[in-house]
Amino acid sequence: MAGSALKRLMAEYKQLTLNPPEGIVAGPVDEENFFEWEALITGPEETCFEGGVFAAKLTFPSDYPLSPPKMKFTCDIFHPNIYSDGRVCISILHAPGDDPMGYESSAERWSPVQSVEKILLSVVSMLAEPNDESAANVDAAKTWRDNRARFNEIAHQTVRKSLGL
Amino acid sequence: MKSLLLTFGSLALTAGVVANAYMQNKQFYPSVVYITKSSPSMAVLYVQAFVCVILMGKLMRKIFFGQLRAAEMEHLIERSWYAVTETCLAFTVFRDDFSPRFVALFTLLLFLKCFHWLAEDRIDYMERSPIISWLFHIRALSLLAFLACSDVFFINHAYYHTLIKGASVQLVFGFEYAILLMVLLHIFVKYVLHTVDVQNENPWENKAIYLLYTELLLGFIKVVLYMLFLAIMVKVHTFPLFAIRPMYLTMRVFKKALNDVVMSRRAIRNMNTLYPDATPEELSASDVCIICREEMVSSCKKLPCNHIFHKSCLRSWFQRQQSCPTCRMDIIHSPRPQSPQAAQPAAPAAPPQQPPVPPFPAAAFPGFPAAFPGAAWPPQHPPASSSASVASSTSTTTTSFSTSASTSDTANNPFMPGMMPPMPFMPPFMMPPMSFGMSPPPVPPADFSGLTDEELRAMEGEERENLEARVQCLRNIHTLLDAAMLQIQQYTTVVSRMGGLDTASTSTVWSAERPTASAMSSKSSNIATSNSSDPMMAAPNPVDTSNKPDDSEVLEGAVGYTVPTETVLPSGESGAAQQDSEDSSELGEIRRRRLEKFSNKMQEQAKTDNNGGTPD
Repeated sequence: MAGSALKRLMAEYKQLTLNPPEGIVAGPVDEENFFEWEALITGPEETCFEGGVFAAKLTFPSDYPLSPPKMKFTCDIFHPNIYSDGRVCISILHAPGDDPMGYESSAERWSPVQSVEKILLSVVSMLAEPNDESAANVDAAKTWRDNRARFNEIAHQTVRKSLGL
Repeated sequence: MKSLLLTFGSLALTAGVVANAYMQNKQFYPSVVYITKSSPSMAVLYVQAFVCVILMGKLMRKIFFGQLRAAEMEHLIERSWYAVTETCLAFTVFRDDFSPRFVALFTLLLFLKCFHWLAEDRIDYMERSPIISWLFHIRALSLLAFLACSDVFFINHAYYHTLIKGASVQLVFGFEYAILLMVLLHIFVKYVLHTVDVQNENPWENKAIYLLYTELLLGFIKVVLYMLFLAIMVKVHTFPLFAIRPMYLTMRVFKKALNDVVMSRRAIRNMNTLYPDATPEELSASDVCIICREEMVSSCKKLPCNHIFHKSCLRSWFQRQQSCPTCRMDIIHSPRPQSPQAAQPAAPAAPPQQPPVPPFPAAAFPGFPAAFPGAAWPPQHPPASSSASVASSTSTTTTSFSTSASTSDTANNPFMPGMMPPMPFMPPFMMPPMSFGMSPPPVPPADFSGLTDEELRAMEGEERENLEARVQCLRNIHTLLDAAMLQIQQYTTVVSRMGGLDTASTSTVWSAERPTASAMSSKSSNIATSNSSDPMMAAPNPVDTSNKPDDSEVLEGAVGYTVPTETVLPSGESGAAQQDSEDSSELGEIRRRRLEKFSNKMQEQAKTDNNGGTPD
């Protein structure tokens, strides 16, 4: 049998293909390498990201699920919790012990209980409700807080861009 | 495209140079002399040689690896830059014997290093790839064999060269190739382990442990090699600046490996001793292990929070984190079995004829449970309480304040009838009496059944009967304290007896000793509170001086009795009850420290017993 990380990723992939959660598509980029995944996330309804389809890349460490994967949006997205290079900053993607912002309790950190599906669902809810208290993109957080109309406008642009319009 | 241009450009240039030389000299030997004498021609030839090396590398890569993956390429380039920098640094050390041959040797070293790195990456990839073809095995094995041969050859060469001609740059090559050989050995062990794992249908639990120990051992050898190299270089040449970075990295890897091994051993020990195996019923109730998402069939462990995982999954998780993956309960800091079911499987080697020892030997005092309720032992008592700071112990004191208050309330405390928890839980397993043949402690007077408002009022006055009522109340406290002291002594005998038993029962000693400590601290706080309740009694009659000494006499009698060895007894002449309570709180402090010391000792003993008993 192959490594436990590989087996778990295969199991998760199977699970995601059999019961895909709404608005989320994810799978390995290449059947040869299960440690690089591609995910497509649709913007949650009734938010400024509604209608958009955002592509992201998930990179799994070789000791997954003991360590969390890394997630990076490959398209432009203007959001308080996404770095300008696309890296996603949410607490369940941080291993307990490292705390980039110094505010997260260990209860919301990575643990093997989490899965790709849970990560992607958290990202969807993060899109719907940005957390401007721990901003990865300070510009976005500021715009979100002070000038919501402008933020919505930028979000609509990214939505259009993500659809190739 | 660029590389193609470079290749053909250099080929054309070389051809031009050679043709030119031949045209001028018409003969082979003179033209060779001509080329070696002319610097531009030599430069062209060096470029050609460099291009040849790169082409050779590409050929070998094609043979041994096929297409490189993006990550491999990235790694290779990153490491190459560091290696080139270090080689340049090495050149500065050996600038005296700088020659084309010397450069060629360094280039060759770099060339072989690249293949070691690639091999490492490729073998690591085995664990990630779902399909491993035969081609992969053939390639890996032939590459490893080739690299091993070249490493050994160069080490040999360096060794004899140094023996014959004395220390030179060959020293550096010797050590570099020795390090590379160690790297190769590590790769080979990994390859073997991965291969065995792939052939095996079931997941191989111990693979991670083997990997860990291999890393530790080879890391140690590498550190020793680097140390040796450093020492020799400092002695023969100068400080080898170029070896500092790899040396530091090697040490860091070794430290990490050491740490991992320690953590892993601790995790294994914890799992073997603290957590019970999951029973078949529990296994059938829970479907998959949340860590690996595989069915749980056998060798599963149950944590104190009732979550079940594969043993191997749990081990690798505990190596990183000491908490339950599901509920994040801190395993290390509350690992004590909280129920007898958890305690008993932890010591399966206990002789069967030995009566099962209840985890809380407080149950040994059947006549007494109401006076010192189980509430005094917090269900999640921190294990560090013995060595804990004053802060934590004061917190236990405060928590046990209410409970000890309730204690005296059930008997006689008239002062705070409102805030008493009416002893909400009295765990059933505390009931069975112990067969250690101890004399029952003194029972508080039976006719004294709680205090009513009338009794309360009876004590609020300056008449003789009021005073009598107060004295009576204090006597009862005295009795309770005597009982507490007796109980403590019995605990110590129980603990020392159990310490004498074989190691199998030490875990029960652990669990037994803990409540003892907490109970003791609650006792001491109990005393403190009962004493501090005294000023409240004394407050209503500050003018009454005639009977006052009586009060304090009784009080001090109580205090003095509970600590027979205490030498710092108040001399009894402190008229003010306030003073008394201060003294007694000091006493309580001293007593608490002693108890802590005592429980520390017991813990140590339990630990040494444990270590001696469990082969690990």
